[in-house]
Amino acid sequence: MTYFFPATFSLPLLYYTLVMTTPTDRDLILRACRGDADSAEAFGELVTRYQTSVFNVCYRILHERGEAEDLAQEVFIRAYDRIHTFDIEREFGPWIRRVAANLCLNHLESQKVTTELDDERDADHAQLPEAAQEVRERSEQIRKALVSLPINYRLVIELRHYQELTYDEIAVELNIPLSDVKSHLFRARKVLAEKLHASD
Amino acid sequence: MHLTNDQLNEYLDKATHERAQIESHLDSCDECAARLSTLQNLFAELDSLPELELTRDLAARFTPRPSLPAQLPKFLTLTVSLQAAVALTAIIIAMPFIVQLIPVLEISSLSNVFIQLQTQWTTWLDMLSQVQFPTLPTFTFEISSIYLMSALVGVFMLWLVGNGLLLRNQIK
Ligand SMILES: [Zn+2]
Repeated sequence: MTYFFPATFSLPLLYYTLVMTTPTDRDLILRACRGDADSAEAFGELVTRYQTSVFNVCYRILHERGEAEDLAQEVFIRAYDRIHTFDIEREFGPWIRRVAANLCLNHLESQKVTTELDDERDADHAQLPEAAQEVRERSEQIRKALVSLPINYRLVIELRHYQELTYDEIAVELNIPLSDVKSHLFRARKVLAEKLHASD
Repeated sequence: MHLTNDQLNEYLDKATHERAQIESHLDSCDECAARLSTLQNLFAELDSLPELELTRDLAARFTPRPSLPAQLPKFLTLTVSLQAAVALTAIIIAMPFIVQLIPVLEISSLSNVFIQLQTQWTTWLDMLSQVQFPTLPTFTFEISSIYLMSALVGVFMLWLVGNGLLLRNQIK
């Protein structure tokens, strides 16, 4: 705003106010890497951009809101600690979502206990129109079907359907053979289809 | 022979080399086409899952302030100030000439105000010319609108070229 008056005289300034003040992910990562006072702030901006998608990765895998939010926070804390190792040529969004999926996997494997499942049916549920209620209930059925899958199956579904990785990329990401990727994925789909169509 | 489960999955994942064969079988076999559509329904259902909103801001841990302030490179702040200064000077110098043209519009009350302004400006400019550069040669020609316009156009062209040069490296 302080630049409003001179901006009327200057194309470069207009360019900067329009384009450069919305820094790219790359700019933010470079600033976050510098390790100065501005770093945390730049990284915070990245968090603002990706927190919802990262949280949703965690929520699809864990189906427990509090736990998913804690883990999403953990994903960003860890990413910030090792931001200097991030390859600047890669895209931040897909990378951070894969990190999230892996962290959830580690978390579930370390727990090996079934957590109390979350119902997104909350207080305002009754006030929704009937159509919206149906959509919501269907989403809930899909989430429950997902979370009923074995951990490995859940992970391949997440990476294939929501993060759109190829078979090969999933094999690398989870460090399993290509044949396992396929068998997990295809069996997971079979189970999901049975569960979802049985409840129709 | 019907299509295998693997073939159908790979077909939908676009991870098969036998697309043509699979498609020709699907065209002729209702049973396999039905299996494919069941699988497609599942894909659509998984896609339909909406994204939920967070109940807290995960960025708060990193940013005490809600947004990033706009940061301008130093060279730009300098050129911008310079440009602003030059433009302001141009306006100040042009003012008396513009004011001369305005009374023609015959808005009496307004033109009175402008005439006052004009007298102030001209006296101020007179003072300035007496103080500064006493050896400066006086203009022998009348300032006509043609000169004024060409000067304005010239300044505008300079401004455009200057900005173009500055932006040259910014736009790839
Ligand atoms: Zn068939």
